[in-house]
Amino acid sequence: MMTDALVVKNLSKNFGGLRAVNDVSFTVKKNETLALIGPNGAGKTTAFNLIMGFYKPDSGTVTAFGHEISGLRPHEVCNIGLARTFQVAKPFGGMTVLDNVMTGAFLRDAQPERARSAAREAINFVGLSAREKFDARDLTTIDQRRLEMARALATQPKILLLDEVMAGLNPYEVDQAVSLIDKLSELGVTIVIVEHLMRAIMAVAKYIVVLDHGQKIAEGIPSEVVKNPEVIRAYLGSSYVQAKEVLHD
Amino acid sequence: METLNIFSIKSKRIFYILLGMIMLVLPLMIKSSFALEILIRILLFAFIGTAWNLLGGYAKQLSLGHAAFFGLGAYTSTILEIKFGVSPWIGMFAGGFIGMLASLPMGWLCFRLKGPYFTISTIATANVLMLIFLKFRDFAWGAEGTTIPNLGHAPLMMQFETKTPYYYVVLGLLFSALVITAWIERSRVGYYLVALGEDEDAAEASGINVNKVKRNIFMISAFLTGLAGTFYTQYIYFIDPQTAFNFNISIEAALVSIVGGVGTLWGPVIGTMLLETTSALLQSWFGNSIGGIQLTIYSLILMAVILWRPTGIVGYLKEIYQRRSNAKGAQ
Repeated sequence: MMTDALVVKNLSKNFGGLRAVNDVSFTVKKNETLALIGPNGAGKTTAFNLIMGFYKPDSGTVTAFGHEISGLRPHEVCNIGLARTFQVAKPFGGMTVLDNVMTGAFLRDAQPERARSAAREAINFVGLSAREKFDARDLTTIDQRRLEMARALATQPKILLLDEVMAGLNPYEVDQAVSLIDKLSELGVTIVIVEHLMRAIMAVAKYIVVLDHGQKIAEGIPSEVVKNPEVIRAYLGSSYVQAKEVLHD
Repeated sequence: METLNIFSIKSKRIFYILLGMIMLVLPLMIKSSFALEILIRILLFAFIGTAWNLLGGYAKQLSLGHAAFFGLGAYTSTILEIKFGVSPWIGMFAGGFIGMLASLPMGWLCFRLKGPYFTISTIATANVLMLIFLKFRDFAWGAEGTTIPNLGHAPLMMQFETKTPYYYVVLGLLFSALVITAWIERSRVGYYLVALGEDEDAAEASGINVNKVKRNIFMISAFLTGLAGTFYTQYIYFIDPQTAFNFNISIEAALVSIVGGVGTLWGPVIGTMLLETTSALLQSWFGNSIGGIQLTIYSLILMAVILWRPTGIVGYLKEIYQRRSNAKGAQ
């Protein structure tokens, strides 16, 4: 029987009066790449934080491979096999690239030599081997994102959550990132990606979930979702109407 | 680091053996008891600094409340000795243990706060402890404190007629703290400490139980600081809340590490050597001429180091070394 990798059910989170995530449900199949899209402030990153245990949901559940993970702390979620990158990269700045990734690898192996070779493998995978001895804070933006991916990979995740890994990359770098994600998918990793860049989403995603104002407004395969009038409205139209709504709420 | 070749590992070993031998014969060469006293002070604060560095340096949790553990260690062994006749050798470990226990509620409270707020809360907890020992006269002699009964030469009660044995005791303490630090630095825990000091969210997301790691390192740091408290009381034969919980102990523990280089094995040792010798020399040069001048110069040196070498002396040397080996690698 094919189990679902990640099941998000009726997830809600309020910040004060703001409904950041409002009754959102979606399912990620094993080894599928799912893109979570939506305009700024739609609740994508909040959804990530809820899944990874950085926030406690007000209601709803998150289940990974049959384990309920909502309510767990982030390190416990990571231990179960979920890893993430951050929208604004958070490398351990004062540590070298190798030490950063070793820190992730230590989750599965406490022995430094073995953790080091596991880390080197992950660094090689993202193409950062030449920078191994650099301090993380001296890396360029794309290399910091690569580093975060390597650090996340070193924890041997079954599900990887990527938060806007392509923002600010040039077209050539985007192609590189896309092929990296494809490579990950081939390894059997289930990927959930938050992204704005439609070209990249169309290239990697098998399934798309669209959020707007914290609610799910559409889901489906990419070719259908981009034609959905609700989605077009959320992205292009009625910004004036939305602004007015916010003022009146 | 794996870049070191066999030759440099070998020369490092020779250096450590030589250093160890020098430290062992040093008190036999020194005839001046003033110099020996300064040496003991250096070793003691290098030890406290090394204990502090585990939490404040590697994990970047800037505690200014370590006097709490120093004082608890001092009082535990003294109470055990005077009221129950327990040897301070045992009392020392009991004191470390009490310090370790105290770090649990203290960490539970203070780790909720971050950055400067954490620091302030540690100061406050240490102060509260001092007040408790000041006000409750019955079990701990209140504000006037007590002297440790002088038994003459009584090694089993950690009392010696000359300063030399004290030197060896504190040298042993420093040595064990350095061994513990070196071991932690190389192990997974060392990586975890640095990682959570850099970014707690990223550390959590990488599978690190941040709260647990912080709690454990706080316990080790507190235990070691407690040992220092016992030693100091035995050494000066006196205890009162103002000396045992003195804020200067907390400051000094942090300062020697910051000046020497936080999060480095030798930072606190180098920092103490620099600060203590400077302050002792300034004291003997200017102490009698113009009141306060030695403190002024001392503070200027501190400011200079923190302004120009914020990574501390060892941090600075490491940077130079890294730059040179990177340049070599690029050739």
